[in-house]
Amino acid sequence: MARSRDEVIGNPTKVVPAGTSEPAASGLSINSLVAQHYGFVWRILRGLGLSRTDAEDATQQVFMIAARKLDEIDPNRARSFVYGAALRVANNARRGLRRRREVLDYETSDEPELESRGPEKMAELVQARLLLSQILDKLPENQRRVIVLAEIEQLEVPEIAALEGVPVGTAASRLRIAREKFRALLAGMRDQNPFGDDQ
Amino acid sequence: MKPDPLDRLSARLFDAARSEAPPRGAEQRALEAARLESSQRRPANAAPSARRKWLAAGFGVALAAGTALWLRPKEASVGISAEPSSIARARPEPRSAPPVEAPSAAVPALQPMPTPPKPRASGPAAIQPAPVTLTEELSALKVASSALSAGDTRAALAALDHYDRVLKGKKMRAEATLLRIEALSRAGQAEAASALAQRFVEQNPGNPLVDRARSFVHE
Repeated sequence: MARSRDEVIGNPTKVVPAGTSEPAASGLSINSLVAQHYGFVWRILRGLGLSRTDAEDATQQVFMIAARKLDEIDPNRARSFVYGAALRVANNARRGLRRRREVLDYETSDEPELESRGPEKMAELVQARLLLSQILDKLPENQRRVIVLAEIEQLEVPEIAALEGVPVGTAASRLRIAREKFRALLAGMRDQNPFGDDQ
Repeated sequence: MKPDPLDRLSARLFDAARSEAPPRGAEQRALEAARLESSQRRPANAAPSARRKWLAAGFGVALAAGTALWLRPKEASVGISAEPSSIARARPEPRSAPPVEAPSAAVPALQPMPTPPKPRASGPAAIQPAPVTLTEELSALKVASSALSAGDTRAALAALDHYDRVLKGKKMRAEATLLRIEALSRAGQAEAASALAQRFVEQNPGNPLVDRARSFVHE
């Protein structure tokens, strides 16, 4: 099938509808992979402590890796693939020297959701995310991952176990411990409650 | 029964995280970068090198800030690299290394800072290739810089090889050399980084990037 010029040269201003890229032998196309998993990867990377800017860069890296290995990805395990790639990219990104101040990151961000909520709600949300990030930073890495998967992605334990490549019992136990630690840490930081006195 | 205040706070924190949206256009930028990567993965689908120039030119303008950001914290500037950083995220930023030869870990021969372009051979039938633009050079360096930031030193070196061998970049030569020094250093090739940095310092004594280069020189 002939491809349009925009498609061939990757015109950056053209919005490419899902499904127009050539699928790999596995039947996966990079368009569908990005459409289905972009948000998941981005939130995982944020949950793992990357700033908004770094999370965007890292998410892009994940899908570039996926594009290189498209033929090897089992369509039924695409989420596992991008999750594994996201963990590796996050490790590399955190080894880099790009620690940024989150507040500045938000000030320069363009998050439609935030902008539409007004200044007070916006400040509340930013503070909430910062507090969450501070608490997650204090958790061991494997506990942080499971709590992000459970509480932010709202995955069930068997799904978490599959992504983490551990038995269901291990995932359940890890999650229980992570929740206990999270709660204890939160109790120690409740004076930073961004939602004021409505607790 | 009233919910536990800690549970409620905890739930609201996670709600806040779930409600966070990626920056505008981020998904589209990732898609473009992945598509670029995908097209490079399959050479049969690739157009000739003019296509690379198209891509580089298309993305290039937005990439100046990336290079500037990379340099700014180190108090180094070489005029043309300092463009407003707000431009940087306004367009797709392909993070891929160009489809070039395997990255060379060897220290390349260092060229002095910008030299006047040599006159091209011209004959009646000669087709003049389009001169490499500043945006193309910046594009290649941005790819290298992004790869380096992500810890992918191999991709960074590949992008720098592209800059040297394909673009034969001149305008951003100093920045390219500094990126290569850093990439070599981060790739664990401290000796090669040091040797290149030493040569840079010796051959470009008046360059504002000399101090940064010197920091890579092992005594």
